[in-house]
Amino acid sequence: MLDELRPWSGLLSDRKRRPGYEAYAADWEGRIGAFLQFAPERPAGADAAPAGASLDARGDFLGVPFAVKDNIAVEGFRMTCGSRILENFRVPYTATCVRRLQGRGALVVGKTNLDEFAMGSSCDNSALGRSSNPYDPVRVTGGSSGGSAAAVAAGVVPFALGTDTGGSVRQPASFCGVYGLKPSYGAVSRFGLAAYASSLEGAGVLARSVDIVEAVFRSMCGEDPLDQTSAASGRSLLAEDGPPRSVGLIKGLGGLDAEAEAAYRDALRALEDSGLRLVELDLPLLDYVLPAYYTIATAEASANLARYTGIAYGRRAAEAENPADLVRRSRTEGFGDEVKLRILLGTFVLRSGFQDRYYLKAQEIRRAIRDELAEALRRVDLIALPVFPTLAFPHGDTGMDQFQQKMADKFTCTANVAGLPALAVPTGLSKGLPTGIQLMAAAFREDRLFACARSLAPLYPVPEPPSFSQEFLK
Amino acid sequence: MKYSSYVGLEIHIHLLTQTKAFCSCAARFGDEPNTNVCPVCLGYPGVLPSLNEDALFMGYRVAHALGCELSRCTIFERKNYFYPDMPKNYQISQFAAPLGGAGYFDFEVRGGIKRLSIRECHFEEDAGKLVHAGTMTFIDYNRAGYPLLEIVTEPELVDGEEAEAFLRSFRRLVRHLGVCDGNMEEGSLRCDANVSVNEEGRGLGVKVELKNMNSSRFVRMGLDYEVKRQTARLKDGRKVEQETRLWNENRDVTETMRKKESASDYRYFPEPDLPPFRPEEAFLARVRDSAIELPLARKRRYLEAFALTEEQAELLLEERAVADYFESAVALGADPRSAALWIVGELRAQLARSGVEIASCALDPSRFTSLLKILAAGRIQTTIAKQVLRAVLEENRDPEDLIAERGWERISDRTVLASLVDEVLTREAAVVERIRSGDRKPIAFLMGEAMKASAGRAEPGALKELVMERLA
Repeated sequence: MLDELRPWSGLLSDRKRRPGYEAYAADWEGRIGAFLQFAPERPAGADAAPAGASLDARGDFLGVPFAVKDNIAVEGFRMTCGSRILENFRVPYTATCVRRLQGRGALVVGKTNLDEFAMGSSCDNSALGRSSNPYDPVRVTGGSSGGSAAAVAAGVVPFALGTDTGGSVRQPASFCGVYGLKPSYGAVSRFGLAAYASSLEGAGVLARSVDIVEAVFRSMCGEDPLDQTSAASGRSLLAEDGPPRSVGLIKGLGGLDAEAEAAYRDALRALEDSGLRLVELDLPLLDYVLPAYYTIATAEASANLARYTGIAYGRRAAEAENPADLVRRSRTEGFGDEVKLRILLGTFVLRSGFQDRYYLKAQEIRRAIRDELAEALRRVDLIALPVFPTLAFPHGDTGMDQFQQKMADKFTCTANVAGLPALAVPTGLSKGLPTGIQLMAAAFREDRLFACARSLAPLYPVPEPPSFSQEFLK
Repeated sequence: MKYSSYVGLEIHIHLLTQTKAFCSCAARFGDEPNTNVCPVCLGYPGVLPSLNEDALFMGYRVAHALGCELSRCTIFERKNYFYPDMPKNYQISQFAAPLGGAGYFDFEVRGGIKRLSIRECHFEEDAGKLVHAGTMTFIDYNRAGYPLLEIVTEPELVDGEEAEAFLRSFRRLVRHLGVCDGNMEEGSLRCDANVSVNEEGRGLGVKVELKNMNSSRFVRMGLDYEVKRQTARLKDGRKVEQETRLWNENRDVTETMRKKESASDYRYFPEPDLPPFRPEEAFLARVRDSAIELPLARKRRYLEAFALTEEQAELLLEERAVADYFESAVALGADPRSAALWIVGELRAQLARSGVEIASCALDPSRFTSLLKILAAGRIQTTIAKQVLRAVLEENRDPEDLIAERGWERISDRTVLASLVDEVLTREAAVVERIRSGDRKPIAFLMGEAMKASAGRAEPGALKELVMERLA
């Protein structure tokens, strides 16, 4: 077990320490609303540890609490996806990534808030709760894994799981000043993740240290018979061939606001200071990432969300004329506007006769980008990118509108379109708000992300929000 | 004006797998509703399909038997449409790269052989089943996720008779392959059709889809009705509308189900949860190695090599196990014609009565062959042979042992027979008197009594000679 996790071990079953922990968590919850469900008195996982297994052998996380985004299935909790349509849905199975952590002794203490069905970059699209940034509650946590990011930043859990379809782990991690890993596509099983855009997304990790991120990632990854897109090579390809030596940066990168731009430049200098050679890369196809991303994501979403009808499970309309009417009413009542918008868009781009113009073209762009990045990542060990064009923005209309938020996904969704691993690294505070940088590596080279982040760590201590404390651990 | 008709079929077969196409639920009919279900086949959030490779293997076998090109990289796609019995509201199916490409199938019709081109074979999952009861609608998901193979033919049939003949032959094929029980009433083999009629020489006409034909007879009736209906419209100078029609089996007509305007757009796209299936050489070799001799080829061989009748060959080939049994017996030295006669006659009747499968019955091909040889050698009577056959089936004993133990060999020793005859004639003195006075009719009665006295074992020719001698 990692030294920094030791104090967390056994916290929930410790009658002396738990009240202090609950008080601390409740205090934060009142301000940041990170959790949709929080149950330190009955965490999920104790039964999942294999009976008779030696605690030392299976105990990397023995008795350590963690939080799980509420679109990841954990038996014993509801899985709401932040949506009215699943508000009371008790899920009868546990996601493979969670189960693997439980198998090593970790305990799910709660489910965190998110944009409905992970569609959003602020967490404000949740139908079930409002989450706020621990550094400034008038600002958003980012999203869609906003609750997980806020809970980790506030020190309520040592790590949390999120999902990342277009930046949904990395962007809130950056907004809240913690590490956020989006693994290679296929490295971690998607079994148990309520699907939004299946070919783009995966489970990711948020934590306040690289060591924890890596330990959690290593515990979760590997082939899973329940997910035929999971990769057998997930673990074996974690080659460790010395620290990365070069990092690419995108030529002509624009569109950042002043604080984000300054933080990005500062981080590049830090990378150089840490001994990396900076190489400018010309990646012209990156301009096409965003339209390709939203075309594919919404197309897949239109099919993935077709199952929510209120018939076999989930919210069902009180009255209906016939089965078709029941489905229509349940969906009309159950889904929020952003979800409806994306379902409509996805249905539109898949219409027969229009696939050539939208869906098939997007897939072509996707292949081309994948090739272009693979080529670039043969020349450099890593690529450094901003995470988002702004720092955490305010709630509501004074912040960013939905369209601006989508445009701003361009730095993060590249990794999803190409299936590459990427890590958001916190780089301190600017005017009291966290800043960050994003590192991207070749598929199944998460090791390079961790190595580089470690070399940056001494330069950028992980910030602490006001009233942050870990006194309850003592 | 002469008209040509064009009929193509879309056939769905339920593949006989242990488990469903994408989860480990039992693929079984008739169980309590919603007992063979799990989060995967119910379309719960977060669960993913896992391909049942056995099911796909069966699909490849059918495609191979139809001479189709076998795909080296077959892709699963989502076919999107809302229907209350579809758990995910999309069906995992195939579109751009089905497992089997162009092929053909030969079948007998109108005393000749017709070759029908197959367009493709694709793999997909079945939906659940809606059960309407009064104002309520229930859903049984036991069938949801059941593996299906859809076979699409070219529109090269001309009428119901051809379609019915094709369907019967095709049904026999999939039963011989052992991949489907072919039961149309239970829906394990379903057939939709497309029909068009046009002036001769002008190619396909306006296509009408025809559904709800739940037996091969209804397929014939529905198609004949539809060809007639469309021809009549064209003759009247009216147009045929592009639409989907349903066969109404109560009224023997086809009726409009939906017009073209409301036709669905299925918005196919590749299933992101399942990688393309790229069969390895070993998989394809297994497909080829498990190929069977097609029933039609087998039938022609039976007619030519064994001089069986058309009807015998058909009956033997109804079930592959029966045909296999027949050939085993022939290989062991049984006379093909008498083997065929006994199999489609007495053996089939006895097995039907007891409900035992031919492949597992006590009269295995070697016992059967030895029984036929004993009969052919004249060592037992035909009626005794039937008795032996039943006894073997019931007691699981060797025919030779049974015959020896029960003394069932034929009696041809004239002294033994003479004493039997004398006994009967003495007992039936009154009858003998009647015959002697000119009434010949009761001779048969005396023969029967004598045969009975021998327990059926007397050689009939010798017995008759003796009776006639004594009466003379």
